[in-house]
Amino acid sequence: MLSHITRRILLMIPNVLAMTFLLFATVSSFLGSPAAAMLGQEASLQDIQALDKQYGFDKPIIVQYFDWIGHALRGDLGRSYTSQQSVAEALLPTIPLTIELSLWAIVLAVVMTVLLNSLPFARRLIQPVTTVLAVIGITIPNFMLGICLIYIFSVQLRWLPTTGWVPWSAGAGSHLLHIILPAVTLSANYFGSFTLVYREEYKAAYRQLFIKVARAKGLSELRVSLVHALPNAILPVITYIGLSLGPLVGGAVVTEIVFSMPGVGRLFVGAISAHDFPVMLAVGILVIFGVMVANLISDIVYTSINRQVALG
Amino acid sequence: MPRWLKLRGYSFRQLLGLIIIIAFATLGILAPYLGLYDPNQSSMDILQGASATHWFGTDELGRDILSRDIYGIRVSLAVGLGVGVFATVIGVPIGLFAGYSRGRTDLVILQIIDLFVALPALILALLITAIIGSTTINIALVLGFVMWPQMARLVRGQVISVRETVYVEAARALGSSAVWIMRRHILPNVMRLIIAQFAITVAFGIFSSASLSFLGLGVPPPTPDWGTMVREGVQFLTFCPLMSITPGAAVTLTVLGFYLLGSKDD
Repeated sequence: MLSHITRRILLMIPNVLAMTFLLFATVSSFLGSPAAAMLGQEASLQDIQALDKQYGFDKPIIVQYFDWIGHALRGDLGRSYTSQQSVAEALLPTIPLTIELSLWAIVLAVVMTVLLNSLPFARRLIQPVTTVLAVIGITIPNFMLGICLIYIFSVQLRWLPTTGWVPWSAGAGSHLLHIILPAVTLSANYFGSFTLVYREEYKAAYRQLFIKVARAKGLSELRVSLVHALPNAILPVITYIGLSLGPLVGGAVVTEIVFSMPGVGRLFVGAISAHDFPVMLAVGILVIFGVMVANLISDIVYTSINRQVALG
Repeated sequence: MPRWLKLRGYSFRQLLGLIIIIAFATLGILAPYLGLYDPNQSSMDILQGASATHWFGTDELGRDILSRDIYGIRVSLAVGLGVGVFATVIGVPIGLFAGYSRGRTDLVILQIIDLFVALPALILALLITAIIGSTTINIALVLGFVMWPQMARLVRGQVISVRETVYVEAARALGSSAVWIMRRHILPNVMRLIIAQFAITVAFGIFSSASLSFLGLGVPPPTPDWGTMVREGVQFLTFCPLMSITPGAAVTLTVLGFYLLGSKDD
């Protein structure tokens, strides 16, 4: 167990380095000299070279990369070209919102999946409806679902606020009201794919002997499905959550834009449209790093639960 | 599914998907002959609701929304099919090679594939597209580049099970070369899977390219592009909802069509 975790962590280090270096090299080589971009079109060659020297843009890419990593490890992610704010200052306040939104979406998707696909009456009565919902959930783009929900619940019914975001400090009720539609929007894709995975596993679990024994003992269908089948079917969904974190971040970016929420995604998209190289790079690399770490954690959780299942 | 719905080995789902795709493709191809308004012709009638002359109304420049929706099919299908082709061209050979060679080569390739699968594809695509510029071909290339690993992984899995069959072993015993075995004995068995995954890749190519253009990295204007249309329409959502909801529905339907064609029955 411990050796498995160490091996995974050790394996992750070169992966992260390789991935972030590739990204760094691509971004830098395509952008050309950031100094030229900062000084505008009328800048003389001498000015550009002077600035190149000042910021270290004239060194080889690999040296620049390790410089960047070194600074990043000390918490210095560079300075935004547009706002002259430090990247860390711009980035840090946006992170909790994105994480909170993603967590709500995942929780909502898992709860809906389990409810609609394991309660006996739900399985019997609304199976086709769930299938249709799952397929639509997978194929509908976040922005489409988002604007439909805004149109129905905010514009027509006026039940919920349209867009924006309110921090916890301004009142938990208002905060939660603002996060309902974004969370539903982001969870739809995961509800769809979790349903497909969960059903497959649920059916497989149901064919096994211990389910037959449980039913032969006279346990109720509800008890059999929740106590015996569910724990077995939920495990692959946990692994799947780990694997789907990458797409989740992408979905969160789109959702934040639809609902104009000040999260990492909006910062990132704003930086892209402003060609703000340090912010783009820092956010891109940190998101990739975060996804890799989260993957590792889900792998560890999965292995440890799996061991317990095997032992118990 | 009732038996009469099964037409020559297609499931109900796949037929439904096929019908949607054919309908959209026909509309897209025949667009110039349908007597539609010019999609880029602005007029004085701005932000109109649905009417007999403009079925879906007009946008903020007075352009006919129905016509822009229909012309938008062209860009979407071109990008989607491009993504499918690029992902297949990169993914299939890598998957074949990994599955056939096994051992250390396979492990290394699998590591790379897993690394890519777990990455936030849309974030990568956003970064790269922002840097190299969002033309139709660039978007297709970038999305193909982030989507090949799924194809490679599926092909590899299938190859591993096929390469253990008796006829592959017989071919090897007869001294056939690896390339011959892969082309003659393995590829035909993986073909069904490749076609299904191709449809899925096209679906998510359309899905992701629409997301990219919604975020402002679409094909440059004035070419009608669904994601961009939704992006522009959102600010008029309260009084001109058709402007963003119809292109959004078009994306959803097209993605659904390709997804149904490529997915297996429950």
